[in-house]
Amino acid sequence: MKQAGRWLLFAAALSVLPSTALAQKPGGKPSKPPAGAAGGATGGAAAAGGGEAVDLDSDQPPKDQPKTDTPPADTGGGGGICEIDPSACPKTADLKTEAKKEVKAEVYAVQQNPVLKYHRFEVRPFWGVTMNDQFVSHPGPGLDMNFYITNVLAIGINGNFYSGLNVDSDFNFQNRRATRVAVPLTEYSWAAALNFTYVPIYGKFAGFGSFIFSYDIYATGGVGAISTRPIAVIDPDNRTFDFKPKVAFNLGLGLRIFLTKWLAANIEVRDYIYPEKLEQLTIASGPLGKPNDPTSPSNPNTWYADSVTITNNIQMNVGLSIFIPFSFDYRLVK
Amino acid sequence: MRFVTALAATLCALGTTAALEKTANAQEILLTGPLKGQPPARNLRLYREGRFEIAPAMSFGVLDEYRHMFIAGLRLQYNFTDWLGIGLWGGYGFSGTTDLTDQINDKSPRNNLTAVNVNHGPGNTKADFGAQVAQLQWVVAPQVTVTPFRGKLALFQKVFVDTEAYIFGGFALVGLQERGNCGNAGDVNGTACNTPASFALQSRLAPTGTFGLGLTFFLADFINLGVEYRALPFSWNRGGFDSRGGGSNLDFPDQKITSDDRTFKFNQMFTVSVGFMLGGRKTSD
Repeated sequence: MKQAGRWLLFAAALSVLPSTALAQKPGGKPSKPPAGAAGGATGGAAAAGGGEAVDLDSDQPPKDQPKTDTPPADTGGGGGICEIDPSACPKTADLKTEAKKEVKAEVYAVQQNPVLKYHRFEVRPFWGVTMNDQFVSHPGPGLDMNFYITNVLAIGINGNFYSGLNVDSDFNFQNRRATRVAVPLTEYSWAAALNFTYVPIYGKFAGFGSFIFSYDIYATGGVGAISTRPIAVIDPDNRTFDFKPKVAFNLGLGLRIFLTKWLAANIEVRDYIYPEKLEQLTIASGPLGKPNDPTSPSNPNTWYADSVTITNNIQMNVGLSIFIPFSFDYRLVK
Repeated sequence: MRFVTALAATLCALGTTAALEKTANAQEILLTGPLKGQPPARNLRLYREGRFEIAPAMSFGVLDEYRHMFIAGLRLQYNFTDWLGIGLWGGYGFSGTTDLTDQINDKSPRNNLTAVNVNHGPGNTKADFGAQVAQLQWVVAPQVTVTPFRGKLALFQKVFVDTEAYIFGGFALVGLQERGNCGNAGDVNGTACNTPASFALQSRLAPTGTFGLGLTFFLADFINLGVEYRALPFSWNRGGFDSRGGGSNLDFPDQKITSDDRTFKFNQMFTVSVGFMLGGRKTSD
């Protein structure tokens, strides 16, 4: 039991020491440590030497440093090399000349790219909204998947889903009712494309002077297909259109704001360019109910316009970029 | 047994130590050494603090229906600090007709069915539809700008530009021309809305709010390029149509042009500007 009491005393001493060292007042000016009882980094040195604390930040040598009558090896700053080989000892005049030389230190504006994308997958779910169609908007979810071949170049696929989400605007109806002019409308079902992405711009921002985040701006482009069909507004009683895929090219520009090394908020504007067959603005004058009659309004061949219209569907896509794997290593140390 | 007792006592004491340390660590970190009390960034170029900015700007409307909207304007701004400024944005609006307007002008029949809604001459002869659609004439918007984000942009790792991102919001007065009221006694465009005279445009002042965000790229201490997005939402009768005011829910035409026919539009535009900073640029400590 006596042994246990000693252990308790020893452990109690252990518990008191660190708590005392940290028990300084927050924000208060640290008091000058007494000899032999200094805290922090100087504590160990003082304890080891058993004397006065050594201030590591001080320019002055410790008081108890032994004095010596031996002068420094040389005044030219050569140190030991001057003793071994006096011919190799740099002269004072040489040092002054060297010091006057202009140093062209290469300092990069962005010292180290905070997010490396090399050989990482980017998965980017997004929500798209139409920017250039005041008649029918085509909102919908989408997914981008890219693989970064280099840190700035990626290849990937992109898909949009619109089916059931197209919105024929109220403005459209009011315009038709007022002017007796129908505007041919189109709705989308899906779109898919193979894309290349290039990241020419990246940088960093300081937010409120207290935190830093990085961003990049990328350009993307590709080719794929978009499935569309006209909305029957000229002759809705007889015309029923099916979705048909068309070749679509896309070009876009996007901004990624990195929240972590693997997660980024993303906004991009992308233009899908494709040839559209719009609804025929006139109704065939033949008899109804004869789909094989080339003059019948029931013949699907009379439903489409004669010419193809190149259509631009400009979308703003807002989403999140998730980079996989989540972490990466720098090739060089920071 | 002794060993067990000693071990228990030691563990008990270490537990107490851990508990005490947790308590002791719950104080503020006292930063010492050369970083103590230092700002997060030194010698920061303060492009805005105490400086006045004059920025000629050009705005382009997005999703315009009957007229492509353009505003040639100016932004004046005084910056109290590097992140807070007040200013005035305004401009003169001009426009061109959209393809929709041109098509309506070409294809819309002038007859009794469209007499209230489509501009026509005597005897339902054709008249310019573009003359009846509304147009924005001028805008003045006092606004507050907050610039929380400062940074730099590397282009191809060769060109580096100091960049800032800002948000702004304010009150806006919009001067516009839209089809005047008609159909009621005393209306400026007459009591009948099917006459050619009823399609005349009248000036109106529309108070609203405006807000947006933008990027500024500083090419030098005194000059910058800006790109911004601005929303300017308000209700107006863009086509000059009688589309509301009738029926139990006012969703049907009533053969009159009134304020009921104005519909809400989230007017949007992009602006590019060139800013000139007056006064010397400061540098932070």
